Amino acid sequence: MLDQIAEYTHKLVADRAALPGEIAFAAQDDTIVAAGNPELAKLAGELLSRLSCLGMAAARPSLPFADFLVARAPREESHIVPRDTETRTFLHDIPFVRREALEAELAEAIARLLGNRKGVIVEGVGIVASGALTVEQAYINWSSVFHSAFVKYLQDVLHDGFLLPGEAEAFDAFRSGWLRPLTAEGLVFRDGPLADPAEILAEIAAVGRYTVERGLVDSFFGNISCKSGGVIYISQTAASLDALDGCIDPVPTDNSSTFGITASSELLAHRRIYEHSGAAAILHGHPKFAVVMSMECTERNCPITDCWKECDRVRFLGDTPVVAGEIGAGGLAKRVPPVIAGPRKAVVYGHGVFTVGARGFGDAFRAMVEVENWCRDAYFRALEGKLAKG
Amino acid sequence: MSSVKALGWRETVLRVDLSARKSWREPIPRDLLHAYLGGRGLGVRFMRDHFRLDPFDAEIPLIFAVGPLCGTPAPTAARLTVVTRSPLTGTIYDCSAGGRFAWRLKGAGLDAVVITGRSTVPVALVISPAGAEIVEVPQLWGRTVPDTVSALSGRGSVAAIGLAGENRVLFANIMMGEGNSVGRGGLGAVMGAKNLKAVVASGDRQTGIADPGRFDVARQDVMRLFRASPVIFGELGISEYGTPALVDLMRQRRMAPTENFRRTVFEESGNYSGPAIRRDYRARKDGCYGCPIQCKKSTPEGEPLPEYETVSHFGALNGISSLASIVRSNTLCNELGLDTISAAATLSAWGEARGRFSDADEVPGLLRDTAMRVGEGELLALGSRRVAEHLGRPGLSMSVKGLELPAYDPRGAYGMALAYCTSNRGGCHLRAYPISHEILRKPIATDRFSFSGKARIIAIAEDTNAAVDSLVACKFSFFGATLEEYAELLSAATGTDYSPQSLKEIGRRIFLTERFYNCENGFGAADDQLPERFFSEPGSSGEGIAIPPIDRGRFAEELQKYYRVRGLTPEGTFDDPDFLLKQP
Repeated sequence: MLDQIAEYTHKLVADRAALPGEIAFAAQDDTIVAAGNPELAKLAGELLSRLSCLGMAAARPSLPFADFLVARAPREESHIVPRDTETRTFLHDIPFVRREALEAELAEAIARLLGNRKGVIVEGVGIVASGALTVEQAYINWSSVFHSAFVKYLQDVLHDGFLLPGEAEAFDAFRSGWLRPLTAEGLVFRDGPLADPAEILAEIAAVGRYTVERGLVDSFFGNISCKSGGVIYISQTAASLDALDGCIDPVPTDNSSTFGITASSELLAHRRIYEHSGAAAILHGHPKFAVVMSMECTERNCPITDCWKECDRVRFLGDTPVVAGEIGAGGLAKRVPPVIAGPRKAVVYGHGVFTVGARGFGDAFRAMVEVENWCRDAYFRALEGKLAKG
Repeated sequence: MSSVKALGWRETVLRVDLSARKSWREPIPRDLLHAYLGGRGLGVRFMRDHFRLDPFDAEIPLIFAVGPLCGTPAPTAARLTVVTRSPLTGTIYDCSAGGRFAWRLKGAGLDAVVITGRSTVPVALVISPAGAEIVEVPQLWGRTVPDTVSALSGRGSVAAIGLAGENRVLFANIMMGEGNSVGRGGLGAVMGAKNLKAVVASGDRQTGIADPGRFDVARQDVMRLFRASPVIFGELGISEYGTPALVDLMRQRRMAPTENFRRTVFEESGNYSGPAIRRDYRARKDGCYGCPIQCKKSTPEGEPLPEYETVSHFGALNGISSLASIVRSNTLCNELGLDTISAAATLSAWGEARGRFSDADEVPGLLRDTAMRVGEGELLALGSRRVAEHLGRPGLSMSVKGLELPAYDPRGAYGMALAYCTSNRGGCHLRAYPISHEILRKPIATDRFSFSGKARIIAIAEDTNAAVDSLVACKFSFFGATLEEYAELLSAATGTDYSPQSLKEIGRRIFLTERFYNCENGFGAADDQLPERFFSEPGSSGEGIAIPPIDRGRFAEELQKYYRVRGLTPEGTFDDPDFLLKQP
């Protein structure tokens, strides 16, 4: 257990999602072990002793967005409700505990909330998340809450501006200090088309690592594939994109075998994209600014309210088409393939970006970087416009 | 108790005494429903004063129980559980099934039916909203399940036994008229011992929902997760191919039990894979009432096609590659009322003991003989443990607590190895279902060749699944959804707030109660053991995957860890003799 705690503590630091020194994990088998920041470790251990789960993560985020969301929420609210697809699908909403409610029974109060949801924001303390079966799951849930809070905060600021003392300054620090230039420079891609299975597996694993290292996914989710002959090599469901060795399924395109049942939930989308685009490689990530901007729609008096799944329009972010559609068998696989063939890139409402490469992953990766950079610029332009208007 | 009926539940049990030929309805205290939910939990609670009875004692209760979500639009919740003590394993036993029977029973205004006593002549129990009737059916004794269903279907949805149940074959099942089965543990033999050929239910009352708006949101959340799950609605998933979608996966993972678990790869398994069944039998989607997944597959003529466990055990486990033979065996088991897993595994153990596995042409005759208890069937009807013991080769029964292992070789998934042993009903894959994370990567992947953390994981999963079996929902839902969404459905349906944590606590109570019953009946650590083969013989390594024997010391260490997680003694028993008295 301690080796897993060390691994996921390192990941939270490497992600730059949590502050070094303010991270703790606890895990229980027949006994509870906790490690990391002493206060947070104590809290994580106390929570674990109250819950039927194996892992617990407690850490202070590197950005104050989660705390700001709590402070901005109306007094009667007890949850935030991010609108991105990942949160809607897997978290539903995120409960929080206000600073003034921090009392002697803090662990009991948090445990009550964690008994119902995967993660909780504790104002002034950080994000706390449980893992039902593994320490890794606690890490994933922590990262998902961090990602959700990030996306929602950016969206809220874009709509409502800064409301709290210190918010503008913190946001400036985020923009000038936390955010880093996003490029594909320095990365090496194999030139395609790739035919040797061993080479394909190695390239997928390498590019998966790149997407995590360059911050194009939340925690490590996303998916990636390469088609060669009658086989789609695709990352498995719930696979960490920075650790794909042994987690890639070669799926026959004629469905003559079902062992690809463990393949990514987006296998159908990948298959249809290959059919429509003739591409050799597909990359799918959840870069944050693209997720935020995909939900910014200028349409007024539109009768559709569940835009993320019901909207049948094709909008554009620059020259990148945006379509709606739930993940898996929920519609994304129908709407993305028809729009991606020409521009080689597409954004899914509130979800993420698909890009394709004609011969290999180099083009696909660079296209995803371009989309995210365009959305990042568009976001700050829109925010400046909003703030200028007051 | 309030006079206002709880939504979700009916707060009513039908008690039937077959000896006295009478039946009556009784209220179920609401506190008991909150504490045990329904299905498995409620049935286990009703067994409290009877768990020591012999399974063939006339007074042993045979309990049919539905859950609070049955009759609502909650996905996969139109199920029921049958609870009693198993004649095959001697343990407390529950087994669930879908179909239409469960919601017809709930529609009759009932949460449960508790049947005791023994009729002197064959009878059917006919239940409607107006009451219950015990009908003499001597003409149906000796008839197959389809014949029985056909004769009674005019009166409602039918749950019936075949010849195997009548003859008390220790792995006789109870078949639902739609082809679903209360498959494992020989509960059909208990029914047969009561001279009860069938139960028929014809209710159509709706189940009330306390907060329809909240319920609908939760239902949409569940459906969204189903659509996001490659195992459920993926193009290679169970909705498309049924559970035989697992054939190719288990072959690729080199953990398909072959020739009585002597090997773990059967080179000809492609003959009965999901795509092969679809191609050869033009398989169409079928399934339980109101279920969106429709994982059952049938022929265009409506004949149910075999599930994963059945194709693998009538296939690889017996060295048979003919899909036609496997389908025929499945159909025959359904007609005779035999559990396909135990039937195939018993044939396999017997085959190894006599030095030759049965060929495809021999199997139908052996199955008929088993159901009739004639010829070789007289011995085979006892299940693999008794067969192997009788032949002086006890090590050839691939079972735990007498329940034959299903089609996941434990050398290929160590959590599964542990869970087979800790299961309260014997070698069952569904109590903790670690295949979900060790193989199918849901909700997250765990290392299948490691015991690390598995004691706690198995205990949590056992509690979770005890709650799921009490709702009663289908385990397959949890390849996508979680207790979060089902707790919300339950809260919306009943008007009482539940959380995943509170459901797991209920599940823990149910699981420990079952364990306590078993311990009182003499079960302990010596029964929580895998067959020796898995510790001394390797599986079929190859293609870069090694399948060594399980490390005996590491297994024993994890089992002891499990006992500590559960608060049990090193012997796997309870320190507190008053455990039951402290439960609601």
